[in-house]
Amino acid sequence: MKTATREKLVSAVFLAVALTSVAAVALICVFLFASGIPAVGEIGVFRFLLGREWSPTDVPPVFGILPMILGSLYVTAGAILFGVPVGVLTSVFMARMCRPRLYRVIKPALDLLAGIPSIVYGFFGLMVLVPLTREIFGGTGKSIFTASLLLGIMILPTIIGVSESALRSVPQSYYEGALALGASHTRAVYFTVLPAAKSGIFAGVILGIGRAIGETMAVIMVAGNQARAPTGVFKGVRTLTANIVMEMGYSEGLHREALIATGVVLFVFILIINVSFSLVKRRSKQ
Amino acid sequence: MRRVFAFCFILLLVLSGCSGRGFDVSREIDVITREEGSGTRGAFVELFGLLQKGEDGTRTDLVTKEAGVENNTNTILTTVRGDESAIGYISMGALDGKVKALAIDGVAATTENVVSGDYTVSRPFIVVTAANPSALAEDFIAFILSRDGQAIAAKSYIAVAPQAPPYSGDAPAGKLVVGGSSSVSPLMEKLIEAYEAANPNANVQLQTTDSTMGVSKTIEGAYDVGMVSRDLKLTESGVLTDTVIALDGIALIVSPENPVSELTREDIRRIYTGEAATWAEVTR
Repeated sequence: MKTATREKLVSAVFLAVALTSVAAVALICVFLFASGIPAVGEIGVFRFLLGREWSPTDVPPVFGILPMILGSLYVTAGAILFGVPVGVLTSVFMARMCRPRLYRVIKPALDLLAGIPSIVYGFFGLMVLVPLTREIFGGTGKSIFTASLLLGIMILPTIIGVSESALRSVPQSYYEGALALGASHTRAVYFTVLPAAKSGIFAGVILGIGRAIGETMAVIMVAGNQARAPTGVFKGVRTLTANIVMEMGYSEGLHREALIATGVVLFVFILIINVSFSLVKRRSKQ
Repeated sequence: MRRVFAFCFILLLVLSGCSGRGFDVSREIDVITREEGSGTRGAFVELFGLLQKGEDGTRTDLVTKEAGVENNTNTILTTVRGDESAIGYISMGALDGKVKALAIDGVAATTENVVSGDYTVSRPFIVVTAANPSALAEDFIAFILSRDGQAIAAKSYIAVAPQAPPYSGDAPAGKLVVGGSSSVSPLMEKLIEAYEAANPNANVQLQTTDSTMGVSKTIEGAYDVGMVSRDLKLTESGVLTDTVIALDGIALIVSPENPVSELTREDIRRIYTGEAATWAEVTR
């Protein structure tokens, strides 16, 4: 009897602990929507989401976040363009071709890359990538290109980590079967193992997208942050995250609420990404 | 591995060597500004007539949307230092030796010129009180103008009385409400902190609104001391006693590699509205 009560008590404690994260998500949702939605209502849904002008301190103020939505999408797409080929090929190399001695160097290097704080990436971008882009392609050097390049590097550990474990979980018989049919090592890896790990790799890419779209401190330092629709790959851009962080400090009233509403839009983006991640994962299990 | 590093290093050297080819005036000006809502930006657009005020109360910030936006002084300094066709602006107190401050209409951006009034890209930080201020309000203002208060002001702004004697008040007790300009507010916060340490009997509250509220609420009596970051209008200075506590100068900065060292107010206005897109259009 006594043991049963204790058992129940302990399980209740564990339940409470487990619910902490759920409660945190729920609270964030409530806070975001409660303080963001009224602002959207006041500004007008279409004027907010599709407005091409952002002039929050003018009288009357104009709050249109389409430039920032486009900015986030372009920068993320650019990061995928840089990060995915490098990431996937690296994971193939690490899982199937790398000598153990080299692996012992690459793996910790990647772990380190994942652990570097984003502000440090930002400094690296500002001091190295921005001047380099400026010298080679002209302009200010703060551009969609620079931000994409930096984000492409930042999402590498995510993509490589998930892809590598996906590649490693492909049954060895696939590879051996290909060899038995006369394929070379490289051919066997690229035409049987890689396709078999497709959904896992795709899941890694989606996680990378999530990381890229939510990144703030690094992007803010290399993107230029102009609040207007993107005009070129080598022109500046402002992302949703940058918009929130840049102006939150001084904002008040409707301006502040509009920034929180920007957070709501970002939240919806992340939600879509997470849902598609679980869909892809479910498909890979079948 | 070492060879790869060496190669990267040489590549960097070659690339940085390319920048020594002289200043090209046909290059686009890389305009850099602060984010909307920042006090420095507010002062800048006011001082250069970049804030269009309609008669019906509308206000439009005319700074070009093509301007790069940075939300702190250090990033602006780093960006301008590295980009020879960039122009930016910062509070004068943040100037370092690695960027070049432009002379405006022939007047160099120095502290002395701000104090003498020759360098006009500056604004006063003023505190106002109603006709008969309390002993505590008077003591607080005396503290701000003392050596202790002015030393705090001089950290980020320009002191108005650098040679003042140290604070020697009799620590009157009571409650004081200070309110007004959000530009003065960061400085006031530090002043209040120091004052409460010097006079433990005082309880000073800070309310951050804007200069106009600083004036009107002081007249109403809601604030004991109002903070204002622009010159007072005649109608306002009639009913209030005003004291300048510090000066805030704004410096226009370019890279040391940029040969331009002087611009007119009109040039700067045209650069920041986007009318003048290249350096050739503002250098004669």
